[in-house]
Amino acid sequence: MTDYILVAVAALVAGALGAPFLQFVGGKKDPGRYAGYVAVAALLAAIAATALNSATKTSTSPAFGALLSSNALGNLFALLTLSVTLFVAVASFTLVRQGSAANSPLYYSLLSFAALGMLLISYAADLLVLFVAWELMSIPTYALAGFLKKEEASNEAAVKYAVLGALSSAIILYAISLTYGLTGTTSITGAASSLGSQLSDPVAGLAILLFIVGFGFKMSLVPFHMWAPDAYEGAPTPIAALFAAGTKKAGFVATIRVVLAISTVYSLTPQGGLFTIPNVLAVLALATMTVGNLAALTQKSMTRLLAYSSIAQAGYILIGFVIYSYGQGNPAFAQQAQVGMTGALFHIINHSVMKGAAFLGAGLVILKLGNGNLDSFDGLARRMPVTAFTLAVSFLALAGVPPLSGFWSKLLLFTSVLNGPYAWLAVAGVLNSALSMGYYGWAVKRMYFDEPGGDSSPVGEPASMVVVFGVLVALIVAFGLLPGPVISFAQNAVPPLGVP
Amino acid sequence: MADVLSLLILVPLAGSGATYTLSSLGGGRRWSSYIAAAFALATLFLAGYAFWSVYSATPAVGQYAFTEDHPWIAVPGFGVDILLGLDGLSAPLVFVASILGVLSILSARSLIDKREPAFYALLLLAEASIMGAFASLNLVVFYLFWELTLVPVFFLIGVWGGDRRRYAALKFIIFTFAGSAVMLLGFLALYFGVSANTFDIPSLVAMGVPAGLQYLPLLAVFVGFAVELPVFPFHSWQPDAYEQAPAPVNVLLSGLLPKFAGYALIRIGLSLFPQAASQYAWAFIVVAVVSMFFGAVVALLQSDLKRMFAYTSISHMGFVLFGCFATVVSGNPLGIEGAILLMFTHALATGALFTVSGFVEKQSGTRKIPLLGSMGQWAPLTAGLLAVASSAAMGIPPFASFLAELMVISGGISAYAVAAVTVLVPVITGGYFLWMLKRVVIDPPAGGASTGGSGDISRGDAAVIIAYFVPLILLTAFSFLILSPAAPVAQLAINLAHGGIAP
Repeated sequence: MTDYILVAVAALVAGALGAPFLQFVGGKKDPGRYAGYVAVAALLAAIAATALNSATKTSTSPAFGALLSSNALGNLFALLTLSVTLFVAVASFTLVRQGSAANSPLYYSLLSFAALGMLLISYAADLLVLFVAWELMSIPTYALAGFLKKEEASNEAAVKYAVLGALSSAIILYAISLTYGLTGTTSITGAASSLGSQLSDPVAGLAILLFIVGFGFKMSLVPFHMWAPDAYEGAPTPIAALFAAGTKKAGFVATIRVVLAISTVYSLTPQGGLFTIPNVLAVLALATMTVGNLAALTQKSMTRLLAYSSIAQAGYILIGFVIYSYGQGNPAFAQQAQVGMTGALFHIINHSVMKGAAFLGAGLVILKLGNGNLDSFDGLARRMPVTAFTLAVSFLALAGVPPLSGFWSKLLLFTSVLNGPYAWLAVAGVLNSALSMGYYGWAVKRMYFDEPGGDSSPVGEPASMVVVFGVLVALIVAFGLLPGPVISFAQNAVPPLGVP
Repeated sequence: MADVLSLLILVPLAGSGATYTLSSLGGGRRWSSYIAAAFALATLFLAGYAFWSVYSATPAVGQYAFTEDHPWIAVPGFGVDILLGLDGLSAPLVFVASILGVLSILSARSLIDKREPAFYALLLLAEASIMGAFASLNLVVFYLFWELTLVPVFFLIGVWGGDRRRYAALKFIIFTFAGSAVMLLGFLALYFGVSANTFDIPSLVAMGVPAGLQYLPLLAVFVGFAVELPVFPFHSWQPDAYEQAPAPVNVLLSGLLPKFAGYALIRIGLSLFPQAASQYAWAFIVVAVVSMFFGAVVALLQSDLKRMFAYTSISHMGFVLFGCFATVVSGNPLGIEGAILLMFTHALATGALFTVSGFVEKQSGTRKIPLLGSMGQWAPLTAGLLAVASSAAMGIPPFASFLAELMVISGGISAYAVAAVTVLVPVITGGYFLWMLKRVVIDPPAGGASTGGSGDISRGDAAVIIAYFVPLILLTAFSFLILSPAAPVAQLAINLAHGGIAP
């Protein structure tokens, strides 16, 4: 039996360790080039292995003893995060020029390490593996955020992100140790099921809450989102795309695996009442989407706008988590829980594509026009038509305009909660979508209707970026016109209710 | 001719792509209007055929002709079907949409002089999605086409509009997007709320929506209609959008987009939420009557031709709302039948008005009523067309608008005798149109500032505008073409409102 996950891990390790040595091969002119090729090759190999794993292993099966678990949910997140990293790596060929060129091989090495971390998080079946993978993903991204080492903003971003990231890791580790103390196991399934039966102990509630907080940092849920806008803005733009489309998703899969698997009793306190997992998540969802959208309305820089819009989108995704968690305790809501989690997974996929397109488009504009203020997007349709079109499509999709991809996933999310105690969450979600048109529509207006501020000459768009944009736009449109296969894929990945 | 309705959507959609690619490839801008017009004509023939079929073989109460069912999303626990069908409500709307599609493209040949390929492509894209909205019998698909229409219109206003186009386009998209998003809530609540677990309208009607799930969803859905129609006080975006849009886009914007709401009001509002609709019919009628008077009175105060027509539109759409709920209250089918006829005639009359205003602006450089004047002397043909279009909008015989307003008001009186005050609305409308005509056509310009424009409208362009009047006049004699298929539509609403018996 071939263990494809092992192949994927090996490919990424080889890429991560091999890339720095190519500094000496490539010559002085462009030392990062070969390292980039190695990283891309490693990522392609890892994606191929994961795809094979997804195609050949239809049932849940343990790997590496019981430390990893190969199942549909893991495949979905592994494929997604690796593909995002691949796009980031390819886009980096063009977009990362300002950074010190000598460091380039290191950049691709760090990227491969982060991809390895995300791969392992996707499949983790043990809390300690999860934590190690979490750090493997996080630590390279701290360095990547500060990669433009001569720029103050980049340094600030890295420091802020690293401090808060370390805090969140500590919180997760504390939650793991509490869980181990209560249940005597670090296996996620074992811990989740016995945490459920031990809820008479308030410490169990505390452990669950700490997990939500720790993962919440990476998901940039409000109020744990403070680092995100600064990190997104200061980091090289492809790395911002990695944060929004990649590492953020690791937070979601960890939450699904650990928090949402607690099925038997879902109250955080022994008495039950209002302090339940779905209620906590619902409040976080409401705060996240509302704060994200309101803050996005007032931004003057494109990357900050996208950072806040990314926060808001996490709020929509949480809607599916809420109804899924509620369905764990209420069999009557099983079908809605299923649809809600399908919508959440579909929106996670869509968000990666849409936000990836938006960040890479913004990155090209920043590279070519020198700054990311919204003013530099005025009249962009005339100067950089392909980039403007990509940005417009991704904005409309993020707002949820049909028949683009974002529409369907939001439709599933809102439909799933509209009947039952969380109907207000769908109302909030829809009003937030309407609110988000305020800034997405405004950005489109700037690009298509306004006149360019100063220089209005056309700006060259590199062929490699045009290809990347073309693929991403095609995905946004295709997922919108033919959502069936993707929805099926997402639905297959939904963990069955009640069986952690 | 199996899948007529699919073709109705796909032909203009293909036209959109063809217009853009062919004119960008070679031949250039000159050909784009011909290519677009050819596709619009093909659509017109299809729609005419569908309209005639629905008339000659009218589907029974609660039945549809040309039904098509294409599963779109079918995963366990969730499904969306592209369910299409026509009846006496949608067939006239599809037909009038295809007429306006052709005429707006023809009038654009003289009115649009930049980036034509993109313009015609977007216009056809809008037409395709308008067709889709009228033909769909699935809530999500209907919403999808409704939303899809907003995007090309947003670009059409924002790129080709007047001086304040950017503001108007943004305001348009934000208002209508917000309104329809709220409407979507009302739709989505039905999926898990009704045991059928479906978005298909006929199944939901047959199943019946539980009483508890009628009130809030009806309110949500009504917010969407109220923004789109628009009714006072949800209309703030509309005068700006209508004023700034180029005239050929106005034809779609004022002629067809409000009909989404009128269509959905009957198809969805009255059919899925009959109990809530009849219980609160009085409230909707109050909103409608206020809107009728508000539109008429504010139109009186406008000094810009297009803004004046915009408020006229608010007033007329109030009639549609009024007629629908009058039938719900009284059980008298006149209200809904009149509303359907009114939607058809309003589309043509308002299309003519806005097209004329486009030519007035092109020739004189302004649409301001005080600056225009003595048009009867320097542009007699334009002035004549403006007068005829105004008569059509006022509802003067021999235009069928007269008949439609008469039916709605009679239907309204049979619901509430007090509603007789609404006869004042056509009186006010007649008053301000005549006053406008006096100032624009007869009187010399205020202060004698303007001495007229650059000549009269060309014969070809005049013929396009006259083409709007022909069906309006014919319909007075042949109103049965619309009214006889409309009868089962009204009957369904009456059955549901009185006794809640599904067909």
